[in-house]
Amino acid sequence: MLTTSPHLYLRRPSPTTAEFTVTTCPPLTLPLRLYLLAISLLRVAIFTAATTTIYSRFFHDPSRPPPPIPISLLDLLYQGDILLLASHLLQTLHSSPPGQFLASITAPLSNSALAVIASVITYFTLCTQLHTTESLLVLRGLGIQTSTSSSSFSSPIPNTSDGSNRWRGWKWWFWGTTPTKTRFIPTEKIRDVLINEAFRGFEVRYYLIVIVEGEEDVVVVFPKLLPGRKIVEEVWRGVRGCLYEGDPNHQSLGGSWGQTATLGRKDS
Amino acid sequence: MAPTYNIAMVSDFFYPQPGGVESHIYQLSTKLMDRGHKVIIITHAYEGRTGVRYLTNGLKVYHVPFLVIFRSATFPTVFSFFPIFRNIVLRERIDIVHGHASLSNFCHEAILHARTMGLRTVFTDHSLFGFADAASILTNKLLKFTLSDVDHVICVSHTCKENTVLRASLDPLMVSVIPNAVVAENFKPLSPSENPSYPPPARPLGPHDIITIVVISRLFYNKGTDLLTAAIPRILENHPNTRFIIAGSGPKSIDLEQMIEQNVLQDRVEMLGPIRHEEVRDVMVRGHIYLHPSLTEAFGTVIVEAASCGLYVVCTQVGGIPEVLPSHMTVFAKPEEDDLVAATGRAIASMRANKVRTELFHAQVREMYSWENVAVRTERVYNGICGAISEGEFYGYYEGDNANNSWSATRGRSGVQSFALIDRLKRYYGCGIWAGKLFCLCVIVDYLLFLFLELWFPREVIDVCPDWPRKKRNDLSRE
Repeated sequence: MLTTSPHLYLRRPSPTTAEFTVTTCPPLTLPLRLYLLAISLLRVAIFTAATTTIYSRFFHDPSRPPPPIPISLLDLLYQGDILLLASHLLQTLHSSPPGQFLASITAPLSNSALAVIASVITYFTLCTQLHTTESLLVLRGLGIQTSTSSSSFSSPIPNTSDGSNRWRGWKWWFWGTTPTKTRFIPTEKIRDVLINEAFRGFEVRYYLIVIVEGEEDVVVVFPKLLPGRKIVEEVWRGVRGCLYEGDPNHQSLGGSWGQTATLGRKDS
Repeated sequence: MAPTYNIAMVSDFFYPQPGGVESHIYQLSTKLMDRGHKVIIITHAYEGRTGVRYLTNGLKVYHVPFLVIFRSATFPTVFSFFPIFRNIVLRERIDIVHGHASLSNFCHEAILHARTMGLRTVFTDHSLFGFADAASILTNKLLKFTLSDVDHVICVSHTCKENTVLRASLDPLMVSVIPNAVVAENFKPLSPSENPSYPPPARPLGPHDIITIVVISRLFYNKGTDLLTAAIPRILENHPNTRFIIAGSGPKSIDLEQMIEQNVLQDRVEMLGPIRHEEVRDVMVRGHIYLHPSLTEAFGTVIVEAASCGLYVVCTQVGGIPEVLPSHMTVFAKPEEDDLVAATGRAIASMRANKVRTELFHAQVREMYSWENVAVRTERVYNGICGAISEGEFYGYYEGDNANNSWSATRGRSGVQSFALIDRLKRYYGCGIWAGKLFCLCVIVDYLLFLFLELWFPREVIDVCPDWPRKKRNDLSRE
C-alpha cells in the first residue's frame, strides 16, 4: 500500500534535458499523504519517547529545579542556544505525566539494556526511509548525473553542498525518502552507456551501466532498485536520444525516442 | 516446415578450456543456429571468463559462478543450481535442455531440474566407462539416476551406445548414435604452395625415403602411452628409415623420455611437448602415418583429423574406433605390443609399396564427416522428442504393434516420457533397492523446491530476453 514496485517517471524540463526517476513511492495522492504524515508524526513521537527515556535515566539531575515557564524556552530559541533549549525541553518532558509514565515502565530494565534499546530505536526512527528513489539526469553537452536514495541506514542529511537542496532533502525525508548520493559524469568522460546482464543472487538481471573514461569500474545506474528490462531499456533509449541527438557519430547506435528496436541488435 | 526450438546446452566443459567435448558443443551449437534454432550454453565460471557473454556469432554463454572441485567439474550440490537454472530457462524461454558429458555434474542436475520444470531433455555421452572400479560404479549410479528420466540419449559411436545402455539400463530405442565430426577445412593436407622448398610430400615413396610416424595424444595410461613406449624401439629397429614425432603432454611423458635415453633414439624420436589445437594440423602434415595406441576411446576424433590431413592411420581396435574410418584408411592392431609393432610394419610396407592413396583421404573424410550433418541428425532427435515427427517414424516401429508397445507403461503420447510426477517416480524407483528410494526422495524434494520457487520468484517478474536475430530457416536448402 505504501510502496509499489519500481516504476519510472520521466521529466523533460527542456528539449536538451531529461530526468529519469525510478522510485518505489506511489503517486502522492491525498490519502497517501495523510498516511505518510501519520507515519512521520508517529516516528517523531517514538523518537521523542526514546530520547526522553535516555535523558531521564542517565542525564536527569533530580536536584535541579524544573524550568520555570515555557516562555523561557522561546527566549532560548531566539537566542539560538540549542543545547540549553534541548535540555530544558527534555526536562519538561521528563516531569510531564507521560514522561513519568515512561520512566516507571522502563524502570525494570538494566542501564546497559536500556541504553542499547533506546539508541537503536532512536537510530531507526531517525534514519530509515520508506521509499527508495533513484534518478538519472541527462544534460546534453554537459553530462549525466546519477543520484540514489537508499531505503535504510543512511544519514537523513543529504550531502549536497547547496543549501536549498538540503531543505529539499528534509522535505523528502518527511515524505519518506531522501536523495543521498549524487555523482556527475561530464560528457567527455562518458565512453558509452549500455545495458548489461549479470548474475545477482539466484537470478540474472539487466542493468544500465555508464562506462567512464579512465576508470576501471563501470558506474551502475539505479544500483539499489535495479529495475526490470522494460524500464532499463526505456531509460537507455532516452539517455542515448537525449545525449547524442543530432550527433552523426552516435546516430546509428542511439535510436530516437520511443523507437522499438530489439535490444542487442547490431543496427550499424 | 519443421519447428525451431530454443535449446540450452549444459555442460561443465566449455571454452576457454580446450578439449573434444568443448569443441563438440561449440560446433553443434553453431550449426544448429545456422538452421534457425536459438541456442544458449550454460557452464560454470572459468578464470577470467565470468558472467553472461556473447560469442561473435551470437551464441550466448552463461558462466554460472560455481565451485570447481576436480578437473573443472563442479561440486555435486543436487539442488543449489535449481534457482539460477530456472531463472535462465525462463528468461530464455528454453524448450529443450541438452546436457553433455557424463562426468559433468552441471549436466546431470540440469536434466533433473528440466524434467521437474516440464522440459524436454537430451543427453549426449562422449565417453566410455568401465564397470569394475569404485569411481565407475559411482558414476554409473549417478548416470542411471539422471538417465532414468530423460527423453533421449545421443552417443558418439555404437560402442558408446552399447556401453551407455548397459551402464544406465536404458531402452536401446531411446539411444541414437550421432558421431562427432571435424571441420575438414582446418585439416587439409600440405599443398605445394605452402612449402615450395620441399618437394610436395614425397609420394611415391622410394625404398630409402624417410617415413615419419606421428603420435598426438595426451600421455595418459588410458591413451596407451605404455604400449607406445614399448613399441617404438622395436618399430625403429625393424624399419631403418623411419622416425617418430610425438606431441602432447601428461604423466607418462617421463617414461617416453627414459625410453629414448636408454635406446639412444634422440635423432629418430622427436618430442614436441604440449601443442595447441590449431597446431595439430601443422604437426600432422609433417608425417605419413598416424599411430593411435589408445586403450579406450569412445570415438577418436583425432584419427579422423589425421585421415583428413592425408595420413595413413594405424590404430588399436578398441571402443568406437573401428566404426570411425573405412578400412582402406586404417590398419588395425590388437591393443598389445606385438600386434601394434606388426600392424605398423604392415602400414610402412604398404606405404612403401605405394598401395595407399592417401592424397584422396581428405576429400573422402570431408564427405563423411560434417557438423551440418550432425546438426541435421540432432535436430531430428529434437523433432522426435517434441512430437514433431511421429513415434513410428522416430523410433522405427508402429503404434499398432502391441508387442513393441508394451515394454514401457510410463511412455505417454507420441513416444515421449510423461511429465507426471508419479510416472517420473515410477521410473526412478526401479533404479535399485536403496538407490531407487533415495532417488525418489531427491525428485520429490526437487519438485517441492520447484513449487517453492514458483511462489517465491514468480514467473511474471522474470524478464524475458530478446532473441538474437535468428537466421531464416528458409535460406537453408542444404540438408
